Parts: sequence; structure tokens; C-alpha cells
Amino acid sequence: MSERTLSVDLGRGLRLRTPVLVASGTFAYGFDAPLIDRARLGAIVTKGTTLRARDGNPPTRIAETPSGMLNAIGLQNPGVAVVRREYAPRWAQWDLPVIVNVAGDRVDDYVEVARRLDGVPGVAGLELNISCPNVAAGLQFGLDARLAAEVTGAVRRATALHLMVKLTPNVTNLAAIASAIADAGADSLSAVNTFVGMAIDVRRRRPVLANVTGGLSGPAIRPLALRAVWEVAATVRIPVIGIGGIASASDALEFLLAGAAAVQLGTVNYVNPRAVAEVVEGIEQYAADHGFADLSAFPLRPSVVPSHA
Amino acid sequence: MSTAVLAQATVLAHTRPMEGGEELVLAHPEGARRARPGQFFQIGVDAKGTLLRRPYSIAAIDPGRGRLSFLFSVVGQGSAWLSGLSNGQAVDLIGPLGNGFVIDGGTSPVCVAGGLGVAVFPPLVDALVRAGRPPIVLQGARTGSRLLPDDRFAGASVQVATDDGSRGWRGSVVSLLRTVAAPSQEWFVCGPTPMLRAVIRLAGSVGVSLDRIQVALETPMGCGMGTCLGCVVPAAAGGYLLTCQEGPCLRADQVAWDRITDAFHE
Repeated sequence: MSERTLSVDLGRGLRLRTPVLVASGTFAYGFDAPLIDRARLGAIVTKGTTLRARDGNPPTRIAETPSGMLNAIGLQNPGVAVVRREYAPRWAQWDLPVIVNVAGDRVDDYVEVARRLDGVPGVAGLELNISCPNVAAGLQFGLDARLAAEVTGAVRRATALHLMVKLTPNVTNLAAIASAIADAGADSLSAVNTFVGMAIDVRRRRPVLANVTGGLSGPAIRPLALRAVWEVAATVRIPVIGIGGIASASDALEFLLAGAAAVQLGTVNYVNPRAVAEVVEGIEQYAADHGFADLSAFPLRPSVVPSHA
Repeated sequence: MSTAVLAQATVLAHTRPMEGGEELVLAHPEGARRARPGQFFQIGVDAKGTLLRRPYSIAAIDPGRGRLSFLFSVVGQGSAWLSGLSNGQAVDLIGPLGNGFVIDGGTSPVCVAGGLGVAVFPPLVDALVRAGRPPIVLQGARTGSRLLPDDRFAGASVQVATDDGSRGWRGSVVSLLRTVAAPSQEWFVCGPTPMLRAVIRLAGSVGVSLDRIQVALETPMGCGMGTCLGCVVPAAAGGYLLTCQEGPCLRADQVAWDRITDAFHE
């Protein structure tokens, strides 16, 4: 199998050599996690980045739950100025696209961050985080189709970069929100962010997380995330990037068969640094076993996504 | 830049050096070559329903024989799984991780260990002795049977404290520290957060400034490699420090002691 087989064009110039990305918040800004094989990686999605630096939430910030992990980091990040001045020039030297995850409290915040990253060498695209469950504001954009479309449209007008928008699963009208975001000018959708959950320490009689609630990730959410991707992929005509508890090649294949154009690996990167390479090799092997020429042959249903390379 | 490697290590011995403490000795030549006192490894556990690796500080470093050891107590599913390991079984490790202690001072320091916090000290004491700085080691536990044997601190002057007085000083290790404390001493400290706070309070009253104290901290941890930002402690300068990357060994003046919490002991 040649490398070309696994390449994917997500649109607006964002072309990936493999359909495997690392999810926001699990790879920081790409300078850590030295054990992960970057040669097999399609792209890095950075930690959520805001207009100004944020300290994040007080600890305890994480808790393990059955086959999963709750986190309430609270968007700790150095702010867009540091990202533009210090990180982007280093990314520009890499043979690996870096997509900056953008978060904010108000539409103007998102627009300003997008504007400052537009045309900056080293920044290959933006992922709009309208679904962080761990900060006081920001989540509401992802919960409402009109607000989601409003922030997507405003950012679309502020940047020529590829615009990926990350959906929250904590809604009842996912398809409607996805459609509204697509119509507002998003180039792709990533689905899904974490599910809001919580854990209580019964011995000490208090919530485990200082933030009380957090976002659940890991294998525990995989069937839920897969269902969401199945639904969204059938609804929109832009590429969908599947996220949610993917830990193996078989898991990733489920998302590609459900209609995802690519996948993001998140929590598994904390546990198994070999996961990226294993997933890419497994997808390659599956394509070879089934005689598939490229990724467009994977979806179980006729693809509405014309963008596979 | 991290020197961590991903490796499968074989269990060479599984012992019980003290009540409430088990020790796994692993064959890991590359890890033993790279590891420095105060660093830790992320150990993969295969217990039902668990997901994350478990961070353990290194309790013995033997580069000559290519061995590392980890001292732990059974507190949950991960440590229970480790407790079930026997000789010849493989363990999946990432490490060494974290910064380790700074041991280039000029005088003989005091090492203060509370409970399982004693796990970080054998390699540190060994390094201090070899550096010509033989330390005083103060180890505290609830009772004598829960102390790591003195012979793990060859070349050091060891004193112990027990809550029940069954061995050594009766009382806390911090009250024992008060008896040996002197102005401008250097201290290395590891133990439960309430004990750390007591040490910090004592330091002010005996003329030991916080920049002379190094603490090894324990927090819940996700990745161990600086990416998840889950393991933070409040910083004196504002914001937070990453236990996994900027620690786990921090100078006491870097930490905001009035804002620190303890996920394990309080």
C-alpha cells in the first residue's frame, strides 16, 4: 500500500498524509510526548487556545472512571500571542500540519484569535472549540444551532484557514446543530467532544473534581461517539472527523465505516504512545485486505463527502 | 528534553520490605541507566475497568545490574494488579519522567520521609553519600513495622519516629525534625500533604528558608508527560506547576502552600 492510499483532503488546502490526528488537549502544543511516532500522524490538534492566557481550574482536575477519564482542566493555555510568536515558527519547520484549537467566551474572542492566526506560517487550520464543558462560558455556542452558526460564520469571515468545528454531544438536536454549522461555512466537523459527567468520593463525601463536573473521555464513550458520527455523517456534506475513545485500529475502523473521513486519538495517547502507529497500520492492512484503493471505499453508506484524495 | 523510553521490564523480585509496603524489582537496564533520584515511571496496569497508567517514584536505581524498583501500597485496582505480579512477568513502563532532585549543594542535608513517601529516598540518599554529602535520614510511620529498614540508607545517619512509640522517637517525623533542625540546613521532604505543611511551618521557626527545601509531590496524574495538564499544583508565582514535568521535585518556595490540596490523604 502506498502512502497515497491513506491521504485525505479535508478541504481548503488541509491535506493529511494519514487520517489519524491527535485530539486537542492530549498533545499540548506538540512539543511534548516524544514517544509518539509523528511520521504516521496526519495532523496535530493543539490545546484549546484563548485570546488571553488562562490559568485553568484548581486541582483536582482529573479522575479515572470505569474505562474512562473525567477532566476539568479549564483551558489552561498561554494565550494566542505566545502561540503565534513562539510556537507557530517552530511548527512551520515541521512536515506535519498543526491545527490550533480555538476557544473563547464571546464571538468577538473567537474572531480575534482566528484573525491573529490567519496567514501565520505553521498554522494549518483552526478547530473551533464551541463545546468545552469545563469553563463557565463557551459551551453555550455548541448547544444551540443559531449560536453555533453565528460563531462559525463570524470566524469564517475572519480567516482563510481550514475551519473545523468541534461538536458537543451534550445536546438532543445534534444533526440540526451540525447542519447549521456546515451551512455557516465550516470546512469540516469533529465529533465529538467529551460527555459531561462527574464522580463523587464517597469516603470523603465530596465531588472528586474541584470543578464538580468534567468531560468524560476514553473507551467508555466510544459507542455513544460512534452513534453521533453515524448521524452527523449522514446529515452534512463536509468531512466529519470522528473522536471518542478510539484506542485501536478496530475502533478507528468503526468510525471510518460510520462515515468519518478521519479520526482523532485522544485519551489513548496518555496510555499507549504506540496507538497512532498501530491505528495507521491497522487501517492500511484493512484497506489491503479489502482491496480498497483509498479511504473513500470505507464508509458503509454511500458517501456524501466528495473530498477524499 | 525528556529521556523517557517505552519498555517492557521483567519482574525479578516481589517482596514486602515493610508492613503496608510491597516492592517490585524489575530488570530495565536502559531505565536504570537513565533514571535519577526523584524521577518516576508511568506503569501500565491491566486491571479490569482501569484506563490510565500509574505513576510510581523510583525506590532503587541499580545501573550496574540494570535494575529498578518501585515501592507501593495497595490502595486501588491498579496497585492491587501490581500486587498480583510475580517473578518473570512483564510490566509495561514509560520513563524516567519528571525532573528529579537537585543534589549539587555543599552541605550534609536532612531527608524527611513520611509514610510511603519514603519510597523516593533510597536513590537520593545513595547519590548524596556518593557526592560526599551523607545525610541525616528521618523516617516516620504509624508504627515500627511500617518503616522501611534502616539498611536501605547505607552511609546515612538514620533516625525513626513512630506515632505509637514502638520504635525510635514517639511522635511525628516533623517533631523529630525539630530536634535536628538548624538554620540554613538543606531539607529533602516527601510525605502526605499535611506533613509537608507542618514541615513548611517548622522551617520558618527554625531559620530554614523555603528555597533550601525540596519536596517531592504526589498528585493524580493523567499522562505523566506534560500534555494533559491534569496534575497541577498551585504555584507561588500564580497559576500552576505541572507535577509531572516541572516536578515532582519542587523547591518549597515555588509552591503556594496556602492553596495546595491533597487528593490522597485529607
